Amino acid sequence: MSAASEFVLSGVRHEYRAGSAALCGIDLVIETGQHVAIAGANGSGKSTLLKMLAGLVFPSAGTITACGHPLTEDALEDPAFRREFRSRVGFVFQDADVQLFCNTAFDELAFGPLQLGLSETDVRARVATVAEQLRIVPLLDRAPYTLSGGEKKRVAIASVLTMDPSVLLLDEPTNALDPRSQVWLLDVLEEWKAAGKTVVIATHDLSIAAESADRMVVLSEEHTTAADGTPDEVLAQRELLLEVNLIHEHSHRHESGTHGHPHGHGQVHTHV
Amino acid sequence: MIPALQHIGDASPRVRPRRRSLARRTALAIQRAVSDVLENDEVASRPGLMQRLDPRVKLATILTFAVTVSFVHSLWVLLGIVAITAALAAASKLSVITFSQRVWASAGFFALMLSLPAATAWITPGEVLVALGPLSITEPGIYLAARLVTRVAAGAGIGLLVVWTTRWTDLLHALTALRVPDLVVATLAMTQKQIVSLLRTVENTHLARESRMLSSGSAKENRGWVTERMAFVARKSMKTADDVYDAMLARGFSGAMPSLVRLQTTARDWAWVAAGIATCAILLGADRMVVAR
Repeated sequence: MSAASEFVLSGVRHEYRAGSAALCGIDLVIETGQHVAIAGANGSGKSTLLKMLAGLVFPSAGTITACGHPLTEDALEDPAFRREFRSRVGFVFQDADVQLFCNTAFDELAFGPLQLGLSETDVRARVATVAEQLRIVPLLDRAPYTLSGGEKKRVAIASVLTMDPSVLLLDEPTNALDPRSQVWLLDVLEEWKAAGKTVVIATHDLSIAAESADRMVVLSEEHTTAADGTPDEVLAQRELLLEVNLIHEHSHRHESGTHGHPHGHGQVHTHV
Repeated sequence: MIPALQHIGDASPRVRPRRRSLARRTALAIQRAVSDVLENDEVASRPGLMQRLDPRVKLATILTFAVTVSFVHSLWVLLGIVAITAALAAASKLSVITFSQRVWASAGFFALMLSLPAATAWITPGEVLVALGPLSITEPGIYLAARLVTRVAAGAGIGLLVVWTTRWTDLLHALTALRVPDLVVATLAMTQKQIVSLLRTVENTHLARESRMLSSGSAKENRGWVTERMAFVARKSMKTADDVYDAMLARGFSGAMPSLVRLQTTARDWAWVAAGIATCAILLGADRMVVAR
């Protein structure tokens, strides 16, 4: 662990119900500026882990620190710490419908900065900048429930970006996105990388992990850490990926005949 | 290899008209409810008389007219107010027929059900028009019931006009501007959003079931299905409420819902206020004259 550690998790365990663990013995250090992909099958605990990093769910056992401060329910009761933490850590939910709770897209973008107590001029300036950046200016006057899936996702991301967080947590960001929007998202992730932001993505889409992350953590179906390394190192471990249910044996036919190979969600393979 | 039961058979489906099941009727009603909500924004964007008004002014109008309607005793004046609402609907580019149907089929119908006992000799004695023993319909009873129904229809018409000609988002902004507590407005905003979201869930669930049904099922089965789905939606809405609260916390929510919306009134709005007050005064004056006779 270095002085620049953004999050440090030690022996973290979480149970939604007694005896039913969502996370078991997670030890994880995320350094400032890292782009980390948390990969795992459905139900492996990715979303729970992300919510823990966002200070929305707390460990049943073990500890978490954020920038050197213990991240606990009591700590977030302190208005100064809560303000500092919420302005630094932004969370984009998997379901954009959950995240968009205001009257209009404009109100969504203004909600975070207003909660931070910024002046009206600053709030309007931030909304204008982010709306321009994410190309959602024509949507600002619309009610969120009238937007398409891709538009909702853009507004959801924009609603977090207006708080100018240095850490971005994204839960299954490519869900409900068409191919063009997925490419757009990858471009946005590259921009954040260039800006030095820390990004943690929970996904079972191996292609986005391979393309955008510089570190990949794999959770097993037993809710423990199964692998931790660069995407190249992790994706080379096919037996492991099969075991944690991230890829499966897939057979298909070419002109030369039928063959099989491991295949994962969003993964592109080549034939020789 | 797929199981034999999954092979496509060669039997042609026999098509015969059948009565719509309760589940199907529920699904259609939900579809209509969703499209009504989405259509509302389109209606509120038309270049009509009331659409051009400041939403705060329209809310103030509702209150003024509601008070006026409650003070009016003459059936004829109440009918005059109903006629005014129909004229305003036309001036606001709404279909007068649809508007009237909505008013009378919902508020009017329920008011009729509630006021029917008042039309009987048991509650309102007087000259009998239809002899049915103690439940005979009397002339003053009919007049009383008609007045109650018309009063409700007039009030509902005014409310419906405001709701139809104002975008939901503007209505909420108006409530904020009129100093309704932020949390109440935020709750209203989320409630409407969740209703649309849950209606879509229920609609899709019904369609998914329908796509796998070969018959409409018995009435008992359908009642069970609809009840079960209601319980499912209730559970889902609680889960969604928790998730939305988490999303609010993640963006720094600490109990307040400040807004940047600044509404501005124009000369048209003030002219509307003056006309509204004058109309209410004329209606009350006319009511006094009619009742005095």
